[in-house]
Amino acid sequence: MASILSLQNISKSYGRIDALKAVSFEVPAGSVFGILGPNGSGKTTLLGVVMNVLRPNAGKFDWFGQQPGEKLRRDIGTLLETPNFYHYLSAKRNLEITASIKHKPWDDIDRVLKIVRLYERRDSKFQTFSLGMKQRLAIASCLLGDPSVLVFDEPTNGLDPAGIAEIRQLITDLARNGKTIILASHLLAEVEKVCTHVAILQRGVLIRSGEVKSVLSQEEWLEIGSADLTLLQEIAGRLPGVKSILVSENHLQLYFDSSPPDAGWMNRHCFEQGVALNFLALRKKSLESAFIELTDNVSN
Amino acid sequence: MVEFLHTLRVEWLKVKHYRTFWILLAVVVVCIPAFNYVIYDFTDNSFPKINGKSLLGTPFAFPNVWSTVPYNAGILVFMPVILIITLFTNEYSFRTHRQNIIDGWSRSRFIHIKLLEVLLLTLFVTLVVVLTCLYFGFLTRKEAPSKTSWEQFRFILFYFVEMLDYSLIAVVFAMLIRRAGLAMGIFFLYMIGEQFVVSLSRNKYKATWVNYLPEEVSDRLIPQPFARKLISPENTAYWENHVNGYFLVSIGYILIFIFLISWRFRKSDL
Repeated sequence: MASILSLQNISKSYGRIDALKAVSFEVPAGSVFGILGPNGSGKTTLLGVVMNVLRPNAGKFDWFGQQPGEKLRRDIGTLLETPNFYHYLSAKRNLEITASIKHKPWDDIDRVLKIVRLYERRDSKFQTFSLGMKQRLAIASCLLGDPSVLVFDEPTNGLDPAGIAEIRQLITDLARNGKTIILASHLLAEVEKVCTHVAILQRGVLIRSGEVKSVLSQEEWLEIGSADLTLLQEIAGRLPGVKSILVSENHLQLYFDSSPPDAGWMNRHCFEQGVALNFLALRKKSLESAFIELTDNVSN
Repeated sequence: MVEFLHTLRVEWLKVKHYRTFWILLAVVVVCIPAFNYVIYDFTDNSFPKINGKSLLGTPFAFPNVWSTVPYNAGILVFMPVILIITLFTNEYSFRTHRQNIIDGWSRSRFIHIKLLEVLLLTLFVTLVVVLTCLYFGFLTRKEAPSKTSWEQFRFILFYFVEMLDYSLIAVVFAMLIRRAGLAMGIFFLYMIGEQFVVSLSRNKYKATWVNYLPEEVSDRLIPQPFARKLISPENTAYWENHVNGYFLVSIGYILIFIFLISWRFRKSDL
């Protein structure tokens, strides 16, 4: 897959604080690329650098394999940090300015306002909008001209649960249509639900990047229970590939060298061994625990 | 050229429906002739007349009007400056100076079109001054127009330079401070502060270098126009000998400010 964005050793400091330390990664075309990290990890700084509002101290980057420039940015829809519009102008007039800067036709404005459900409020001034409406207008401005690349920095900020679900659906739909989406977020659930790739930042350092399933490996295990836990533990101990068994009050947690066996097979196997299971579940480590484990390992 | 006009059109879209912009501009357009009328009335009616002529001479008649109106308009320089500071600090308050770059302008394009906006506003205010000059010149003309009517037209150029100099100082403060109220406050403080330093240094230490400070040097382009006959010939000759220097130094400041404003915007974090 060709790279949409390629970063090579990007460093950025504010005085004595290193916001980014030699960060390098590639964003593949057609991916939904999550930039994940706690607050202050350097996500917004990184996006600020690639959108030319912050000057890196070292390193370089390119968009679409070319030197970054104003014309390339016109084909990228970007929401960085906060929705930035002229407060005294209406939604529509603000988008006319954005469309003019991007050299996109004005007749696309109604379409994007309808997508974010602001069409009815198109003539209202930006200063009268709620935080959620401002955020939706910013997303509408990103969609102007149907760009092939979208950059969203915390896109669900200020949105209510219904708004969050809508934006998540919108991102999924955009990705399905082949758009490349770069999404910075500190919300793991957001990344888990929509991203195909991820880069994890912590205190300006890139901890890992790649496909979500390889970066944030989510270990699986089986939980089983029966009336006779001692016999069940004996049977479980003889299973091929079992790595460890944790005994809790009323069930066992079975960890395997590789993927756990199929739950159906497990149920049949225990029954054949004379034990009827009264509990059987396949568990998966949450993305949150995987993330904390990863960042803790680096910190230590 | 097409790209340039396109960029200029975007700036027009920003102000076209901005009520504050039009109100402040209207204030400038009304106040320059109105303030001059107050001074005209004062000079015409408040002083004793000798042989039917005012003691202060005929400052509003051609060709003197070309220096009188710009001099008076210079006192109101803070009015267009408020407008310019508002237009610049708006971009910072709304963070649209970042968004315009993100959306597809280069930093150079953004700052240069903003500086062009300042230049166009300065030209517009100068045009208002020219029209005010013509109004008062024709109002007070007692004889047929002659080619001497256009003498001293150079003061219009001097006013333009003075106005541009002040406007760019205001832009520097607007860029550094980023908040409209504070930037205006600091600008006025600087205006008064520089005048204080100039007065103190000149009177107490006979220093002449203070004549070349950014605002003082452009103020000196247009000497006070009233009761010229009462001003010593030495002072008039001194001004004539130095006015080219004042002009060149003012232009120098304008170029330095343009360079600094452009350099800072292109090189710093936004």
